[in-house]
Amino acid sequence: MRKNTLGLVSLICFSLAAAGCAKKEMVKTEETVPPVVAPKTTTPAIPAAPPAKTEPIVAQPISEAAVTAESTQPATALDTVVATLERIFFDFDSFVLSQDARDVLSRNAEYLLKKQPTARVLLEGHCDERGSDEYNLALGEKRAKAARDYLVTLGVAGNRLSVISYGEEKPLEQGNSEEAWAKNRRAEFLIVK
Amino acid sequence: MTRRLLITIILMLIPALLHSQEGYREVTASGAHKLTLTVDAPRRLGGSEASKVAHETAEALQFDMVLAGPFTVTAPPATAAATGIRPGEFDFAPWRGAGVDLLVKSGYTVAGNAMTMEFRLYNVTQGKEILAKRYSGRPGDVRRIAHTFSDDIMEALTGQRGPFTGKIAFVSTRSGAKAIFLMDYDGHNVQQLTKNRSINLNPDFSPNGKEIIFTSYRQGNPDLFRRELFSGAEARISSYRGINATGAWSPDGKSIALTLSKDGNSEIYTISRDGKNARRLTNTSAIEVSPAWSPDGRKIVFVSDRLGKPQIFIMNADGSGIRRLTTSGSYNVSPRWSPKGDRIVYCRQEGGFQVYAINPDGSNDTRLTNEGSNEHPRWSPDGRFITFSSTRGGPEGIYVMRADGSGQTRVSQGKAKDSHPTWSPRW
Repeated sequence: MRKNTLGLVSLICFSLAAAGCAKKEMVKTEETVPPVVAPKTTTPAIPAAPPAKTEPIVAQPISEAAVTAESTQPATALDTVVATLERIFFDFDSFVLSQDARDVLSRNAEYLLKKQPTARVLLEGHCDERGSDEYNLALGEKRAKAARDYLVTLGVAGNRLSVISYGEEKPLEQGNSEEAWAKNRRAEFLIVK
Repeated sequence: MTRRLLITIILMLIPALLHSQEGYREVTASGAHKLTLTVDAPRRLGGSEASKVAHETAEALQFDMVLAGPFTVTAPPATAAATGIRPGEFDFAPWRGAGVDLLVKSGYTVAGNAMTMEFRLYNVTQGKEILAKRYSGRPGDVRRIAHTFSDDIMEALTGQRGPFTGKIAFVSTRSGAKAIFLMDYDGHNVQQLTKNRSINLNPDFSPNGKEIIFTSYRQGNPDLFRRELFSGAEARISSYRGINATGAWSPDGKSIALTLSKDGNSEIYTISRDGKNARRLTNTSAIEVSPAWSPDGRKIVFVSDRLGKPQIFIMNADGSGIRRLTTSGSYNVSPRWSPKGDRIVYCRQEGGFQVYAINPDGSNDTRLTNEGSNEHPRWSPDGRFITFSSTRGGPEGIYVMRADGSGQTRVSQGKAKDSHPTWSPRW
C-alpha cells in the first residue's frame, strides 16, 4: 500500500515536472554553414623575353578582372527545384559508378559547365526498398557523394554541389519487382534556386 | 501522454502476497502443463451499466494474458454463474470443473465521468485469492487500468511486472507523410505525434519514457530531434551536414549514440542529450549505422559493412575493442540488445528480412520469424517480448511476439504502412 502510494505520488510529480521543464530543456544547435569557397584567380604568366635581344621589357599593364564574389550557399531540400538532370542508377548494395552512370555524369557535367555555369545542384541519393532502411540512409549518401566526386573531377566546382540521402524513403516507382527496384537505386540531380 | 495520469490505487487487499517463484510453482499442477487462465466477464458493482467498459476490460485483459505466455487462456465455462467477484460471493466448483487454474474477476462502478474498477486474481485449485486491486479513473482510462492489472498479475505470478501499460511509438504513412505515432502496445489509442508533413524516422524512447528522439527532414536535412511527449515541445539537437540518424538513448539517459556523416561518411558517434560533445567512435571508409547500447551502457552493438556486406559488430562504449558478432548470413542489420543483456535481436536479409536473436558471445543464433518480411525488432522493457514490423498481412504493420518468437500477433490496424516500432519504458 505504502509503496504504491509513494510510486503514484512520484509518478504524478514526474509528469508535472516533465510538463514544466520542457521549454527550458530546448537546445538548438546552430547549423554549420560550410565556408564559401571563392573561385581561384589565376595570375597571367609574364611572357619571357626573347633571348637574343636585350631590349628593356615594357611592363604590360595587367588588367585585373573584378572577381565577383559568388555567395554560393549550399542547396538544400527546402530550395525550389527549377530543373532536373538525367539520373544515374546503381547495382544492389553498391555505390560504384557504372560506365553508363559515368556517361550520364559527363553529359551532366558538360551541361553544368557550359549551359548553367552558376547553377547550384542538389544531388539526391536513393535506394530500393530491399535493404534495411537505416543502412540505406548511409548507402544513399554514398551514392550521391560518388556522383558528386565524379562531377568535381570533371570540373564542376564542388561548392555548387550539395548531397542529401533519402535512403529508401522516396522511391521513383512503387512496387516490388526487379524493374521497380532497379529504377529506385539512383542519384537525382536537382538544379535549385 | 497529454492528459495526466489519474489512476489511483486505493486498495491492495492481499492477505499474503505470494512470492513470485514460489507462487508460480505452487499453482503449476502437473509437470509441463501450462496454467489455464480465464478472464471472467466484468460485472457492474454499482452505478450505471457500461457495456463498453466491460467489453474493453475483458478484451484488454484477455489480449495481455494470451500474449503473456505461461497461460492457456480459456473462455469462462457456461456452468459458472454471473455472480459477485469477491471471495465468498461465488463458487469455485464450476471453474475447477472446467480445469481453470487461475481466474481473473473484475467489476466496475461508473457514475458520470468517474469510474472505479476492482480486480481479483484467484488460485482456483486452492480456492484462494492471490491478488486484489481497486483503481479509480475515468471510463476513458479503462484499457489502461486493465493493462495495469495485467502488469500486476505478471508481478504476482512471476516476480517481474509486465510491460502491458507500455506504449509503442512507430512511423506511419496513415497521415500521408511519414509521421511518428504513439499507441498502446496492443494497437489501441493511436495518437499522431509529429505533424510536420516531412519524413520522420527511427523513434527511440528516453529511459524514463518522457521523451523520444527521432530523425526528421522537416528542415531539409535528416536531423535528430528530441521531443517531450507530455508537452509536444521539440528541439533539433543534432543538425550536422549529412546524416543525423538512428539515434539510440543510453541506458542512463545522459547520452545518445547515433550515425553522423559530417566527417565524410557515416560513422557512429555519441552526443549528449542536448546534442553536444560529439564523440566519434568508429573510423572507417565503410558504412556504420544503427548503434544500440548494452543494458549496462558499457558496450554498443552496431552495423558495419567494413568487410563488404553489412554485419553486426560490438565495441566498447568508447569505441575500443571492436569485434564481429554475426558470422552467418550475408546481410545482417538493426541490432538491439535485450534489457536483460542476454540476447541481441537483429534482422537478416534472406529474400525479405527475418528477425533473429543471438547471444552477445555469438552463440545460439536463432531465427524467430518466417512469414513475410520482418524488420525493426525492439524489446519490451521487461525483455519478455519483441515488437517488429512485418509485411506478412499485406502493407507493413506492427507486430508483437514473445522473445522466443512464439505468439506473433499484429497490433496495428489499417492499410497504411506502419514501421519502426519501439516499446516504451513503463508508463
